[in-house]
This record gives sequence, structure tokens and C-alpha cells, in this order.
Amino acid sequence: MNAIILSAIWGVVLMFCSVLIKNKGVYRHIAALGLLVILAGNIHETYHGSFFNIDTHEMLRFSRFGLFFNTILLAATLLYVLLSGRDVEKAGGYVAEYFTLIFFVLCGASILTSFNTLLMLFIGIEILSIPLYILTGSDKRNLRSNEAALKYFLMGAFSTGILLMGIALVYGGTGSFMLEVPRSAIMGGYKGVSFLEVTGLLFLLVAMSFKVSAAPFHFWTPDVYDGAPSVFTSFMATIVKAAAFAAFLKLFEARVGDTSAAVDWKLLLSIIIVSTLLIGNVTAVFQQSVKRMLAYSSIAQAGFMLFAVFSLNDVAKEGLLLYATAYSLATIGVFAVLIKMKDVTFEGFNGLARKNPVLAATTTICLLSLAGIPLTAGFFAKFSMLSAVIKTGTYTWLVVVAVLFAAVSAYYYFRVIQAMYFKEGDAQTEEVTGGFKVLLIAVAALVILFGVQPQALLNWFYF
Amino acid sequence: MGILQFLFWLLSAVALTGAIMVLASKNPVHSVLWLIVVFFAISGHYVLLNAQFLAVVNLIVYAGAIMVLFLFVIMLMNLNTVIETRKNLWMKAAGIISGGILFLIMISVVRSSADMVSRTAQLKEGSIGLIETLGKVLFTQYVVPFEISSVLFLSAMVGAVVIGKKD
Amino acid sequence: MSNLVFLVPLFPLLGFLINGLFRKSLSKPMIGVIGCGALLASFVVSAILFGNVAAANRLHPGQPIPATVLFDFINVSSFKIQFAFLADQLSCLFLLIITGIGFLIHLYSTSYMHEEPTEHYGRYFAYLNLFVFSMLLLVLGANYLVMFIGWEGVGLCSYLLIGFWFKNDNYNYAAKKAFVMNRIGDLGFLLAMFWLLAKLGTVDYNQVFAKTALLSKTDITAITLLFFVGAAGKSAQIPLYTWLPDAMAGPTPVSALIHAATMVTAGIYMIARSNVLYSLAECTQHVIAIIGLATALFAATIAIKQNDIKKVLAYSTVSQLGYMFLGLGVGAYTGAVFHVMTHAFFKALLFLGAGSVIHAMHHEQDIRNMGGLKKYLPKTHLTFLLGCLAIAGIPPFSGFFSKDEILAAAYAHSPIYWGIGVATAALTAFYMFRLYATTFLGNFRGTHDQQHHLHESPAAMTIPLMVLALLSVSGGFAGVPEVLGGDHQLHGWLSGVITSEKTHHLEHSTEYLLMGVSVALAVLASVFAISRYSKKPELQEATGLGKVLQNKWYIDELYDAVIVKPLLKLADVLKNVVEKSGIDGIVNGVGKFVHYSSRQLRLLQSGLVGSYILVIVLSIVVLFLVFWNQSIILQFVQKIF
Repeated sequence: MNAIILSAIWGVVLMFCSVLIKNKGVYRHIAALGLLVILAGNIHETYHGSFFNIDTHEMLRFSRFGLFFNTILLAATLLYVLLSGRDVEKAGGYVAEYFTLIFFVLCGASILTSFNTLLMLFIGIEILSIPLYILTGSDKRNLRSNEAALKYFLMGAFSTGILLMGIALVYGGTGSFMLEVPRSAIMGGYKGVSFLEVTGLLFLLVAMSFKVSAAPFHFWTPDVYDGAPSVFTSFMATIVKAAAFAAFLKLFEARVGDTSAAVDWKLLLSIIIVSTLLIGNVTAVFQQSVKRMLAYSSIAQAGFMLFAVFSLNDVAKEGLLLYATAYSLATIGVFAVLIKMKDVTFEGFNGLARKNPVLAATTTICLLSLAGIPLTAGFFAKFSMLSAVIKTGTYTWLVVVAVLFAAVSAYYYFRVIQAMYFKEGDAQTEEVTGGFKVLLIAVAALVILFGVQPQALLNWFYF
Repeated sequence: MGILQFLFWLLSAVALTGAIMVLASKNPVHSVLWLIVVFFAISGHYVLLNAQFLAVVNLIVYAGAIMVLFLFVIMLMNLNTVIETRKNLWMKAAGIISGGILFLIMISVVRSSADMVSRTAQLKEGSIGLIETLGKVLFTQYVVPFEISSVLFLSAMVGAVVIGKKD
Repeated sequence: MSNLVFLVPLFPLLGFLINGLFRKSLSKPMIGVIGCGALLASFVVSAILFGNVAAANRLHPGQPIPATVLFDFINVSSFKIQFAFLADQLSCLFLLIITGIGFLIHLYSTSYMHEEPTEHYGRYFAYLNLFVFSMLLLVLGANYLVMFIGWEGVGLCSYLLIGFWFKNDNYNYAAKKAFVMNRIGDLGFLLAMFWLLAKLGTVDYNQVFAKTALLSKTDITAITLLFFVGAAGKSAQIPLYTWLPDAMAGPTPVSALIHAATMVTAGIYMIARSNVLYSLAECTQHVIAIIGLATALFAATIAIKQNDIKKVLAYSTVSQLGYMFLGLGVGAYTGAVFHVMTHAFFKALLFLGAGSVIHAMHHEQDIRNMGGLKKYLPKTHLTFLLGCLAIAGIPPFSGFFSKDEILAAAYAHSPIYWGIGVATAALTAFYMFRLYATTFLGNFRGTHDQQHHLHESPAAMTIPLMVLALLSVSGGFAGVPEVLGGDHQLHGWLSGVITSEKTHHLEHSTEYLLMGVSVALAVLASVFAISRYSKKPELQEATGLGKVLQNKWYIDELYDAVIVKPLLKLADVLKNVVEKSGIDGIVNGVGKFVHYSSRQLRLLQSGLVGSYILVIVLSIVVLFLVFWNQSIILQFVQKIF
């Protein structure tokens, strides 16, 4: 509850800041401060309970998993603001409003980690999405940005329609919006699993797949990620996506887990996973722009995260925590560097290692983590996802497919490393400060820390 | 067939016809007008379900406010002249076919759902749509989502300002 | 108190980091102080630990010492490996040897390496500290995985230090050879570890030893044999021994620390640690005993005809290691560990003495150019002589006791083993005193210039020599056998860890006889060597058998012809024929395919919202159809596969 309320309040605070404070450089400090406050509030709630005593009528339920996920999201956002906050100021004219919208997104994300009814799921998803449409179009003079925003909005509206259709059908089948419904209470005492409910869940699956950009519902992703200002792409690809996954897992754990005795979801999910891995990885190979490559790579990474939804066991939950952390850290790091590049094609990175060794080295570590090379956080993240699948005991061939595609992914990540280290060139970057470099090194250090000691993160979760 | 059932089928037919005409008419103004017809038909459904408040709100907000806004925008931007966008015929056909299949699937779902067989809408029953019950539920049971949706609207407003204001 | 244990490897690690990172900015004395100080601190902690273990031993005799868990290393569902240290009787003994001798050798190095430029001086101490850190990990680990980490670490440091003077290609080649041979052994270690994991699901010592009943005869034999392959690589046994003599390319203190006192005894430590397993594998024990014995004899014959002072000592090390394996093979684990200890004392002493000689002779290593150094280097001479007496097994010096214990156990096992063992002992005495006589007695044969500069080494070098000499003389009294009126304290000390020692009961008269024979032979061989080589050392080229011995039985050439050359040929064929046309074709083909499909898939991304939504709707339809017909689809798939 703390995270939801505090982030909404801080959003409003920043709105007022845009009127009261004219100096644009101050906003990001206020935002960072706010994130610290929310983070503290959330951690306090994790161990000692909420500041606010509100009867939510079971609409929200704050579990340890959800609160810890909040912590990860908030910490990632804090890191994002510290690393790229300065670049938000360059995205457009309404800096305070952008931060406001980011805080509203966080509010939506905190709802998504704690919702207990489909109603809250819907509100959470909408609060998460609507600010993003605007952030995507924030570069108003750029046609590509406008196009991306409009596309995102149209397709997002379409997926919202599907989501609502699904919710309506589930309600029709069970007579309740709650995630967990006692089977005996379902309409008219009907015993089996309702056909309407299952169909509704299928629509929900489609809508959620759209939100996490799983194939074949991913089409908006490359266009939007590519068109949006890089600084907001970074935010969308990490924090927003992780939050959507938390919701996806929570929804399916309750509803699908409930129906899985009668209905087998695994074939459907495995089709989605394989096509996501295929399209994400294979298409990324051919890209010329690093930014667009990262958009496809985020699809590919979503394919891996879907394994959590596929397996629905404890290993998967832990794995998703680890994956969200590893993926967010590495992607924020890579994007932070990408934003500073004058040219975001692969050629633009040529010779970066000589020009700016710190940037090149930290980018390399982040890319290695994304590729899942051992001793980086990405390795254990992928590993735990795969072991979650193995633990389910079925569809173990998925593991083979996943490993093959992970190998393909190494190709396009290493292309960047190759460009930075082994190609002659004159990589142009904007001015970077010492603090920025220190932060980047910290990110790289964290990536390696979680790669050597993934328990450090998980122990904290159980503590 | 009693009068209620007759009204139900009539309103359904009007709503569907209106919806198809929204898509089919080439003039945007006509589309909007057809949409208003759809809203009226749906409001009629609400009345049949004993949800008078919802019916009225639906008319005021959608048919009244939003549609008028749409009309203004279309007229101010001078879009009422027919702009023939050269749409790919193949695409059109594909769209109709795939949409049709999805529609078919939806119908078959409803039909084959064992617990839905021989059920129709329960007309004139229930009191959820009345202003009193709705108000009570909204401010007790559903107060949290109700309050939180304010964040949604706030962010939409901020967005409208950010996008709409001149630099 | 046992949680102090993490400090032991921490100090050398810190020393490594400081010296490694700041080697350019620190002054030489500072580097020396940090390097030696780390070892001294580590030694003090080890001594405290030793005291603790002794106290615990006295309070609760027979109770195992618990391991100290630092953190969970791997924790994946039910599979769990902890990063844990075990400071029990066996590892404490090794701790003292490693840190104690390590400290002396560090001290010695401050003077020996003084001519190096500061940067390389820092690098040297950083490597040396890293080595000690890895070695301590190896010894302290409470499971095979931690041991393996240390095992790889020492291999790496050995490689780095052998190739310390990396501008010389031959040295680099020697370093590479050591690394490759070690890797062959490591493969055996790894396989054994995986085998244990597969069968028992754990590599923790206590759990493994408690669960041996779950292993079949074949499992145990295979696991112990594979572990032995690892040990043979690290401890230079036939057929993986040839790297050790070449490893003498490194600085002499390195040879003393790594290739005499500590690293090469890791194999013995490992087998002694796993004695429970080995005692269950009779076949492996036979193999170990025979290989150990063969190595001992074989290396001793080669040592007779070597003229490089360090090479003689190197072959002598190989030979002594063979002795230890003989002890392990006949079940005398305590005897083997005892010999590790005494050997560490006198071999470190001999190497450091040789270093002192080389230092005085300005990097001359050929003993044919020495002679008569007795009067120029009095302290070195005296300590070296004591070392020679110890290794030759003359009572009451330390080598006598440990060697005798192994020989007695060998006799109880088979008199033939004993016979070969005694013959080797006599050869040992012979070549050691040949070395001693040629180097220190007679007249000086070097150049005039060398003679002019002959000088005794500084105190930083002679003090370690004297300490080690004292230990070499007295170290044997830790294990005076019962027959000589002692109570063999070492045996009692290790009884908690080495639980499957084979006891043998020889008549006292037999034991006296055995000792008498071996001592008499050793004395005879020594006297013969001194009388033969002090006056007229052999300076001419050897002929006949001597030439074969001098060329080390042509083993290196044999390996070259039988293994290396055919391998290169095969590699050539593989590279030119199989790889170019086959594998490259496949790999490039896959790459091309991915590229092609990438280009095609990219076309899906047309940029038109309408077509996107069309695909989404179609996908939903397909998902529905699949979902409703999944039982049919699954049956169909099952029929195909």
C-alpha cells in the first residue's frame, strides 16, 4: 500500500514542482528523493507493515513476493533516474510532467504486484500503459516518435479490449472478479471448469502476452521502442516489462493454477514461448541499429521470462525475481550508454573501447549478462528459469530450444562488443560525467555480484 | 414472445446494425452519428436490465459529451469531406475473414459452455444498476479501485496537457 | 574460536591484492614487508588453530572437528555445495607446513629477488601470495569442490611463476608444459568429482565418507583411480612427471616452495584425506604402490647423472614423491604424511641452499663448474650437508624416521617392495652426496671472475636456511616409532582423520634388521660417493648407460615421438580436412540459415498497424484452435516421434 499511495502523491508533488520551480535540473533530484522515500516506505512495509491502514476488501493483497518485487522495481527506477535523469531533460519540454508520469507508472506497477481482483488488474494495467503512450510521443517534433505513440495507443487500446473481454468472460463463468474463487461458489453450483472461464483466461493470456511483448503479439514493440526517445525506451523495456510479468505470473498462478487440473495450458504457452524466442532472437540478428536490436532482444528476454509463467512453481517465482533484477540492471546499463551515443547503429560503437574504456567495459559486462554468460547475473537468471521448467517434468525439450536461442543471442550481443573492441572507428559520445561512470561501474559490479552470489539477492527475499 | 423479449431483440438488432454502419459509412460524421445510435440501443438494454442510472449516464457521457466532442473535432479539422484512402482490397478481405472467424469462435464458446445452456439475460431483475445500490457499492466495497482510478484520470489529463500544449 | 579459520587464507589474499594492484607504486622493502607479513600473520593464526585442535583433541578424543561454513556456494533446489573450511588435525598440520615454510621462503626471496626491478618484484610477491592463498584453500576445503578450486589455483600460480622470466621462450615452454600436464591430471579429478556427485549427490568429505556403503566396488575403484590420475599430475608421478624437472626454470625459491615443499604434495594430501575411499579400493592401492615405487626408482637413476644442481634436486623430489605414494599404496597414510612433512623441511632447505650457491655463483647452475665452495660459503655448506644427511636417511636426522616407516610398511606388504625401496634409498644417498661432494668439496673449477666474487649470502637468506636445517635435523622426532622407544606422536595426532590405516605387526628383531640394512646401505653409498667425487669429479661426457641416464631415459623424446607428433599430425588432418569441409560447412551453414530467416522474419514487421492487428487476430484464432484440439495435436506429435 505504501508504494501505491506514496508514488501517487509524489507524482502530484512533481506536478506542482513544474509550476513552482523553474529550474529544470532540480526535478530529477526531487524524483530521486521521492524514489528513496517510496523505497524506504516499501521496505518498511515488507518487514513491519504499511503506514496506511486501509480496508481494501481483499481487492489488494500484499504478499512478500509482491513487496519484494516492488523493491526491485523501485530500486531499478532509482538507478534509472540517477543514470539517465539528465537525459530525461533533453527528451522534451515538460520535464516535471515526464517524471510525474514515471511515478504514476510506478503506482500502476505497485498495483500489479498486489492486485487480488481482475478489476484491480485492469486499473493497474491502464495506469501502467497510459503514461507510456504519452512518454513515447514526448519528442513532439520527431515524426517517428509521434508515429510510435499513435501506434502504441491504437494497439494498446486493442489489447485493452481483449483484456476486458477476457475479464467479462471470466466473470461470466465464475461470477466473481476475485483471483481465487472457491469452486463450490461458482454460478449455480456448477462443478466442472466453466467453458466461459477458460475462454476468458485465454483472452487474458493474449492481453498479457501483448503487454509483455510475447510473440505473436509483439508487433508494437520494435516500432515503439525504436521510435520513442531512448531514455523512455529504457524505462519501458525494463521496469514496465518486469511489472507486467509480475502481474502475468500472479494472475496465472491463481487462475490457471486453479483450472490446470482440468485444462492443460502448457502446450499453448510453449507455442508462445517458442515463437517469442524465435522471433526475438532471429530478427535481432539482422538489425543494423543497436537500439532496434535491443528492442528485439527484449522480446527474446521476455521469452525466457515466460518460462516462469509456464512452470508456475517456487523455483519460477524466485527465478523471475532474479531475472527481473538481472535483466533490468543490464538493460538500464546498456541503454544509459546508448543514450550517450551520437550514432546508435552498430557502426556508431566502433572503437568505443579506445575512446572511452569505462563505458565500453561496463557495456560489455551488461551485454554478457544479457547473453547469459556465467559469472554474470544473467547466467543464474536463465539457469533458474530453465531449472524451473525441468522441475515441472514436462516439455523438457523447451530447455534445449531455449539454450539454442540463447546461443543465437550471443551473436548479436557480441556484435556490439566486437564493434567496441575490435573495430577501428571513431565512436562519438556526448560528454559523460565522472558520477555517471561511477554509477555504471556500480551497475557492472552488481551484475557480477549477483552472478557470483545470486543467493545474496534471494536470501534477502527470504529474510 | 412477450414485449420485453421483443424489445431485447429489437434493441440488439439496432445496436448491431448501428455498429456495422459505423464501420461501413465513408463519411466520418455519419460514423459518429451511427455510433450515437449504438449508444442509444445499449442504453435501452440497460433499462431492460433495470439499470436506469447506467442508462442515463451512458447517454449523458457517451452519447452526449464524447460524441459531441468527436463531432466538433471532425468538423473543425474539416474531415467531413470524403477522403478515399486507397486501402488494399486483399487486406480488407483478410480482415473481414479473420474477424469473422473470431466472431464465430466467440459464438461457439457461448453455445458450448455447459453452464450457459438455456440461460438468457434475466430481465427486470436485480437492482445493481440503480443509483442507490450503485452508490453504496462504489463507496464501500469498491472504494479502493474507485479512488485509485483517479490516478488513471490524472495521468490521462497530464498526458493531454503535455501533448496538446504548444511548445 | 574455529571461526578464525577464514583469516588463514585471507591474509595472503590481501597480500596478493595489495602487491598486485600497487606493485608500481610500492617500494621494494614495503612489498617485502607486505608479502612476508601476510604469511607471518597467517602462520600465527594457523598456530592458534593448531592449538585449538590439539585442545579439542585432548578434551574430546575421537570426536571429529566440525567444518566452518562460510557461505552457500551453489544452492539449486536439492543440490547444495557449501563453501566450507575444515581445520582438523590433517589440515592444521599442512597449514603449519605451508605458512611456516612459506614464510621462510618469502623472507629468503626478499633477498634472492632483490635485483629484479620493483614492478616485477611486486609481481613476484603477488604471485607467491596468490599461490599460498590457493594452496590454503586446497588444504582447508571441507569438500572436493573447494579443494578443486585451490587445486586449479595452485596450478595457475605454478604456471605463472615457472614462466616468471617470461622473456625467455624456453621458460615459457616449460610453464606451458607444466600447465598442460597438470590439466590432464585435473581432468581425472573433475571426472572423479562428477562421479561422486552423480552417485552420492555430494562432494562433502564427511558425507562422502559416511556414504561409502552406497558405492559399488566398480564405482569406488573408478573414482579412486580418477582421483589418482589427478594426484599423479599434480605430484609428478609416472607418466605425468616430466613437467617437474622443466619447472626448475622458475626462480629457485619458487622451486623450493611450490615444486618441493607444498604444491607437489597436494596429491598426497588428497589421497590421505580420502583414505577411507582408498582403503576400500584394493586394486587402486596396488596401482598406486607400483607407480610410486617405479617413479621413485626411475627418478633416482636419472638423478645420478644430472649436472644441473636444480635438476638433481628436482629428480630427487620426484623420487621422494614416489616414496610417499608407495606409502599411500601400502596403506601407511600416516607414514606418507610424515614423509611429506620431513621432505618439506629438508627439500626446501636443499633448494634454498642451492639457491644460495647459485646466487653466489652468479646464476651458474652446472655443478661441473663449482667445487670447493666449502670455504667460501660456510653457512650454506653446513646447512646443505645437514639436508643431505636428512634426505639420505642417516639416523637420527628426520628423513630416517619417515623413510623407515614407509619401508617397514612396504616390507609388511611385500618384501619385494621393500627391496626396491631400499635400493632407491641407497641411490638417493649416492646422488645426494655426489652433488654435495662435487659442489662443496675439492677445488674450485669456475672462472677466475666467479671466484673473485664468491661470497656468503646475506642474513635474510641464511636465517631461513638455519631454521630449516634445525627442522630437518629434529623434525623426525615427531614420529619416533615404537621400536625405538618412542610413541609416534604424529600417529596419535592424525588418528582422528586417518581412520583406515593398515596396521602391521613386525617382530622387533625384524624391524631392527630392516633399519640396519637400509642405514648401512645409505652410509656405504654416501661414503662411496664422497670418496669418488670429492677428488676427481666426472667432467667428461657420459657414455653408455650413463648417457641414457643423463638424457633422462629419453622419456621426453619418447613422449614427443609417440604422443605429441602423432597428435599434431592428427590435428593437421582434422584441421585441414574435417574442419574446413565438414564442421566449418555446418557452422557457416547454420549461420547463413539464421541470417536468411532473420531477413525473412524482419519483413513481418511492416510498420502497418492494420496488418499487425490482423496477425494478432489470426494468432488468437490459431491459439483457440490449438487449445481446443490439443489432445489430438499431442497424440499426433507423439506418433511422429
